[in-house]
Amino acid sequence: MPPDALFQIANPLAMLGWVALIFAPFAPRIADWTAFVVIPILMSVAYSALILAYWSGATGGYSSLPDVMALFTDPHIALAGWVHYLAFDLMIGAWATRKAREAGIPHLLVLPHLVLIFLFGPAGFLTYYAMHLAFHLSAKAKGATA
Amino acid sequence: MTALPHPSIQKRMWHDAPVFTGLALFIALTAIPLLAAAMIDPRSFLGAPIWQKPLQFHLALSVYIVTLAFFARFLPHSMITSRRWRIYAGVVAFCIIAELVWVGGAATYGIASHFNTDDPVMGTIYGFMGAFAVILTSASLVMGIAIWRNPATGLSPAMHLAIALGLILTFVLTVIAAGTMSSMPGHHVGIPVTGARVPIVGWSREVGDLRVAHFLATHALHVVPLAGFTGSRPLVWAAAAGFTALTTGVFVLGLMGQPLI
Repeated sequence: MPPDALFQIANPLAMLGWVALIFAPFAPRIADWTAFVVIPILMSVAYSALILAYWSGATGGYSSLPDVMALFTDPHIALAGWVHYLAFDLMIGAWATRKAREAGIPHLLVLPHLVLIFLFGPAGFLTYYAMHLAFHLSAKAKGATA
Repeated sequence: MTALPHPSIQKRMWHDAPVFTGLALFIALTAIPLLAAAMIDPRSFLGAPIWQKPLQFHLALSVYIVTLAFFARFLPHSMITSRRWRIYAGVVAFCIIAELVWVGGAATYGIASHFNTDDPVMGTIYGFMGAFAVILTSASLVMGIAIWRNPATGLSPAMHLAIALGLILTFVLTVIAAGTMSSMPGHHVGIPVTGARVPIVGWSREVGDLRVAHFLATHALHVVPLAGFTGSRPLVWAAAAGFTALTTGVFVLGLMGQPLI
């Protein structure tokens, strides 16, 4: 299977997970399962298959930046890296959605962070954590005054 | 992959042999990424798709270990709860995982696993894997003897004998067939090998292939117990002798360079 074709499947699959997260308040369990379990597992299977099949043929490695850059010159390995991003970013999105639900943070406030996680994973993770901390401290302060 | 057994049977297997049952499930599930790799990997090894062998190993070891988990119900209760048995089961599980990592790792890098004596590192590993293979096969011997001696299996005398014999024969015949094969330069005996094979198992249809005898030997634990349904101990002995003769015949045929079909 050419890497382009797999790429064309992986992107909409990830989008499906993000859509589930956007509408999470209407079906929290479905969103959890889709974005945290089912889609990441499918993508992990695809990732593993790509690595098993193409790792030995690729140049480069993990030990220096030029090595890592060389890895990404192989289309199959670059695709594996992309699938890795898609899967793990989605899981962080699902984690943030669930965490906010447990903490009673309105889903509307989570949405901007989901967008950021979707586009720039770690940046969104940071902003979500900052907001979570703010809610946590505010709830604690309320508890102390009451 | 295969249909799951009835829930009550599953429950017994988790209870009697948690390590083997869990390992069988784990091995079956980890075959999924290998199957996916097989679908996208254009490489081949010795004329066969490169992931065929790791997949065969996952399937074969999963079937082997799930069968042991099923037969564990006929072991003495004091044995399956003993510390010694639990440690032994852990060692067997380790050997099975080591074999799979070795075969899968070799496929990842496109090199030979068995019969790899060109490379010093792989040659050393091959030696270890031979010992591991004997250890993992010894589980059928240990269980066969323990079931043989167990007076309280709840089985009919014929079935009791058939299961014990099948397990013991699996060890004895496999060690003879696979041991001989591993001392040779490869699993084929004879030339020319142009690539005519039996589907799925991949046995040669042109030259002797010692893997056929290995296959039969290892499945003694499935075939011989069937003779227990006759209810007659003499017939079980006859079936065990017949199966041993068949396996030996196929083995000799392979050594003579004759394909089975």
